[in-house]
Amino acid sequence: MRVDGFAAIEDYAVVGDGRTAALVARDGSVDWLCLPNFDSPSVFGRVLDAERGGSFQLAPTTSFESQREYVGETNVLATTFRTADGVVRVTDALTLADRSWLAPLRELVRQVECLSGRVELAWSIEPRFDYGRRAGRISSRAGHLVAEGGRTALAVGAWGGTEARATGTGIAGSFDLSGGESGLLSMTVADRDPLVFGTRAAAAERLQSTLEFWRGWSARTAYDGPWRELVARSALALKLLVFAPSAAIAAAPTTSLPEWLGGTRNWDYRYAWVRDAAFSLVALLRLGHTDEARSFFWWLEHATALTLPRLRVLYRLNGAVETAERELEHLSGYRGSRPVRVGNGASSQLQLDVYGSMIDALWLYADESGDLSAHEGKAIAKLADWVAEHWRCEDFGIWEVRSGPAHFTHSKAMCWVALERASKLAERGLVPDHRERWNGEAASIRRFVDERLWNGERNTYVRAASSDDVDASLLLLSLFEYDDPRGERLRGTVAAIERELRDGLRVRRYLSDDGIGEPEGGFVACSFWLVAALAKAGRVDEAGALMEELAGAANDVGLYAEELAPDGSFLGNFPQALSHLACVAAAQALSEAGP
Amino acid sequence: MILGALAGGAVGTIVLTTGLRLAQELGWTRMDIPLLLGTVFSPSRSRAEVIGYAVHFVNGLLFSLAYAFVFAATGRADWLLGLGLGFVHALFAGGGLVNVLLPAVHPRMGTPWSDSQETPLLEPPGFMLLNYGRATAIVTVVLHLAYGAIVGASAGGF
Repeated sequence: MRVDGFAAIEDYAVVGDGRTAALVARDGSVDWLCLPNFDSPSVFGRVLDAERGGSFQLAPTTSFESQREYVGETNVLATTFRTADGVVRVTDALTLADRSWLAPLRELVRQVECLSGRVELAWSIEPRFDYGRRAGRISSRAGHLVAEGGRTALAVGAWGGTEARATGTGIAGSFDLSGGESGLLSMTVADRDPLVFGTRAAAAERLQSTLEFWRGWSARTAYDGPWRELVARSALALKLLVFAPSAAIAAAPTTSLPEWLGGTRNWDYRYAWVRDAAFSLVALLRLGHTDEARSFFWWLEHATALTLPRLRVLYRLNGAVETAERELEHLSGYRGSRPVRVGNGASSQLQLDVYGSMIDALWLYADESGDLSAHEGKAIAKLADWVAEHWRCEDFGIWEVRSGPAHFTHSKAMCWVALERASKLAERGLVPDHRERWNGEAASIRRFVDERLWNGERNTYVRAASSDDVDASLLLLSLFEYDDPRGERLRGTVAAIERELRDGLRVRRYLSDDGIGEPEGGFVACSFWLVAALAKAGRVDEAGALMEELAGAANDVGLYAEELAPDGSFLGNFPQALSHLACVAAAQALSEAGP
Repeated sequence: MILGALAGGAVGTIVLTTGLRLAQELGWTRMDIPLLLGTVFSPSRSRAEVIGYAVHFVNGLLFSLAYAFVFAATGRADWLLGLGLGFVHALFAGGGLVNVLLPAVHPRMGTPWSDSQETPLLEPPGFMLLNYGRATAIVTVVLHLAYGAIVGASAGGF
């Protein structure tokens, strides 16, 4: 069901190959695909402009009902369409390359199988290059129809149906399949290089090997605790967001899906946040994906090398630091939510918590692998020294507020985490020993938090100095064990957050002004952090009940966006790494808390 | 001339490697040639740095022989021709050698073709090594100019 041409965000599933990702709607339309990489301009951008965004549609020509699932624990999607005359299944994947053969730079494969009866399907590719600015030029090369727009070109191979035909602005065709028959579409992509034309056999083989790779990868996910299915799907979603050429993790594959319909909180998440990378390193280490964890470790180390000891909040996926924000005025935005932004202006903000997240991740990595070189040890000591010197500064906090800097409690607590973990590493002789300074400053942070950020009357930590409000980021004090999670202070804080920010399964980030002054939904990561905090506080039954509710709030293929609207619909960029990272952390906290 | 070019190559490589390290320390670039070369042979950072320095030094000597070949072919060897060759050398290093050829053979470096099946440890340098910081191209060109001038001067005699 579309409204003004837009599908609901929860009606999307995602397929990806570690370089880019496509959003596939329940009605079979690929409405988002940037080529060749996550952060390249879109070629299909219907999710941001139903008229001029471009899409790859494939659906029965008569009315249908659809049902979707991933093919087991893979990132390959199967959509089953039921019509009055028959049943057909479409399998979608961005294929992974077969190293022994000349493979295309990127390839979207759509396999159609008629399971029963007879079904006619129509497909059309309407590429709109450069975020919908150009329609592209259609021509025929060696029997393949090709669409070109600037440096990007795509070729279409269609087998088992009518021959592909040029439509003026795109390429189209149809299938008329009876039970047992199948067809195949392969869209291969080139970027500043020659196109590789697919053959049916090679495309089908790549689809098969892609399935096998994802199955094998999932089999290595070492988690047998509760909500295994949810955790496995989250791990797959996270792996899909890892930009394989550099190992950076994108916060989400989309830009400007709104945090409130019609609002202006529309941000570009196709960047790597240091905070997310640190959380990812921890999650993947704990899930047994040590190769990926090691890659993150190297990415963290290399991406931040240019600015060390100062960390930027986010980096481009290829490691560059230029993230200038601009607006795409020619796009309507998702259901009128403007502006559509590319780039992210938060990159130069001071966010002190990033240092705690990063040193905590490095500490865990060193703890698990026992592998930290002298060079890396020195880098960590530099970071800790920087924290010791700067923790007294006001910052913009984890939520990247645009209302101006403040002394945020979560930021100060994470500075304490940074110094505490650095001291532990020094104790083991893994980093230069500046413990005297670090321990002294850590004690000063505690005094500051106790004196200015604890409200004894309300029995809760507060959001920031001179504020009486609470903030859901305070839940992380429990996860990072700033205080005893079962102690009176954190129990009181969790209770205050439940009282003031929780509405059923939804947890708001805060109620205070953040400089934007627009409503937003419940933040999915905060709900999962509440699960973890409850579990750590010993309120295991309540944590389990909330987790159960949250499991039910995922969409039909187990994915989460950034936020949940009051009616349960999704808001914000999709799928979001932080939501899935928090989901893994919550399941692990519950697993550790026991029955 | 060959011995002069080799001597210049040795000195020029030391200047180039030291200059790159200096640029790293100053926060101008994340380019770390010894690490990039050494991790072809070992994932251990400290071992890779040592191997990388050695490999880069040998490369520097080999390139000086290529310079000597050009000097012999043109019948001219001086710092100015060396400077010109250094510029070509920098373009080749940034546009092809480190940008395209090294990722293609490096077992631990990502490429534009890396997909989810791979977990590379090093990001690819990009055209003119710009992924490693905007100033990387300038640093690379300046240091290769210095290398070329030293080799040219040494081969031709001061």
